[in-house]
Amino acid sequence: MLKLLKIEWMKIKNYNAFIILSSFFALGVITVNYIVFIVNKNMISQTQAANLMGKFSPYNFDKTWQTTSYAAGWLLLLPALLLIILLTNEFTYRTHRQNIIDGWSREQFIHIKIVLAVLTAVFSTVLVFITALTFGLSSGSSFSTEGISHIGYFFLKALSYNMIALLIGVLIRRTGFAIGVFFIYMGFENFISQLLDVWSIRLRSRQNIDLGSMGDYLPMNSADGMLTFPDNPLKGLAKGVMPTDYYWVVLGLTVAYLILFYWWSVNRVVKTDL
Amino acid sequence: MSILSMENIRKDYGSVQALKGVSFNVPKGTVFGILGPNGSGKTTMLGIIMDILKPSSGTYKLFDEVPNETHRRQIGTFLETPNFYHYLSAERNLKIAAAIKERGEGDIPRVLELVNLTQRKDSRFSTYSLGMKQRLAIASCLLGNPEVLILDEPTNGLDPVGIAEIRALIKKLHLEGKTIIMASHLLDEVEKVCTHVAILKKGELVATGDVNEILATEDIVEIGASNISALKAAVQQLGGFSHFNEQGNLLQLFYPVGKAPLETINQHCFNKGIVLNKLNLKKKSLESKFMELTN
Repeated sequence: MLKLLKIEWMKIKNYNAFIILSSFFALGVITVNYIVFIVNKNMISQTQAANLMGKFSPYNFDKTWQTTSYAAGWLLLLPALLLIILLTNEFTYRTHRQNIIDGWSREQFIHIKIVLAVLTAVFSTVLVFITALTFGLSSGSSFSTEGISHIGYFFLKALSYNMIALLIGVLIRRTGFAIGVFFIYMGFENFISQLLDVWSIRLRSRQNIDLGSMGDYLPMNSADGMLTFPDNPLKGLAKGVMPTDYYWVVLGLTVAYLILFYWWSVNRVVKTDL
Repeated sequence: MSILSMENIRKDYGSVQALKGVSFNVPKGTVFGILGPNGSGKTTMLGIIMDILKPSSGTYKLFDEVPNETHRRQIGTFLETPNFYHYLSAERNLKIAAAIKERGEGDIPRVLELVNLTQRKDSRFSTYSLGMKQRLAIASCLLGNPEVLILDEPTNGLDPVGIAEIRALIKKLHLEGKTIIMASHLLDEVEKVCTHVAILKKGELVATGDVNEILATEDIVEIGASNISALKAAVQQLGGFSHFNEQGNLLQLFYPVGKAPLETINQHCFNKGIVLNKLNLKKKSLESKFMELTN
């Protein structure tokens, strides 16, 4: 496995798009959180409402894990795009064929890309962990691991995005087209997800049927659904009409979708003409 | 030992049958040409052997074993187009190929020198000309000095000097005892370089065997006389030719190369009271042989 990974590294270490997109992502995670941190510190916490809510800061410990994961979640598009480009490049240059001709099996070819997707998710998560820790410590509150599970959700979300990106890359093969499909799919799923959310709220308030927030049951939104901006005390008032969070269902679906994407990508590469 | 044996390989693309049940063997130490016009299924066949394409039915073996990726690592293969990472230099591309082949990087300077690319080894692949890309692909095949090479139209896009160099290289490798499988649509190339040949036509195997037998050419003697039926009768008594053809008011007699006895034919006809008004020795061209085999 390490041998294959070394070869994968030889392919990407001198590739400009890799260097640019990774730096954008790293800088982005830090910058986005810094902006939220500054805005909160200098503006929101000075207002009357903030005083009413008590000393609420999204970067205090136990909240920092959630805030950072949520804010960085928006940037996960970048590593997903990078993975699409790295994979579809192989199809464009036909190097996927050459790798196999030279002596990789089809399984090795797709599995090393999946390992790359997992590693990208791991690196993103480590970066978010360090960022959350740094902002948490600079907010002046005392360290706590409460709510650190959000870092885990972030990892699942990163992995889900990466696996969807790989699947689309394997199915579409052309770089530009695959990126287009990725965005269109994302927009489409968000649209359906919001319709389902509205429907869930109606079912709950009118017929008292609670199926949870059904918008969170779709592939990209299931990973998304677990990452929300920290609740402030006012939000509790809305609980009467909102559907219950079926946390375990959403978590289960996220994992199920990951398995599906894995199986579909591998199957496609192993079974069809390349 | 067979390097490659194919058993009834079929490949369908929807209603199009690219290969219609092809079987043959490539013995060790041969230069085996796969000859056929464009679209006859040569690349499809090599793609199946390299696990790039899945056959619709049929089986094949490499080195007498059920094929897997370790067999492919022992074969230097160049299929259809030079496939490299455009943004990497020639040398970096070869490092990747060597790592996949598990060959080590020590052989890279040698193969670059063999194809005259040492000076350009640090240039990106995307800056290469077609001929240079082709030569880099051949260099990649030669990495680690494999016992078997599979080359798909290796001289495509090369200038005459490049073509001569590649052909000389193939002959040299053959003398070293290597097995080379080469696809080509150039009959003349196959005849010059190969020891064995398989001829494909629209996905079917037309002929396979020793190149001298399959591509044996003939001399044709064309004769004519005012009374063509009398001439025919006279010629039938003569014998010595493999077969003859009547073409308008001419007869074509087919002889093995260099064996046509023009004087004897003339004398024989004259003795029978027939005066020839035409006596012509024609060499059969390779092109017409190719047309005959593939049409």
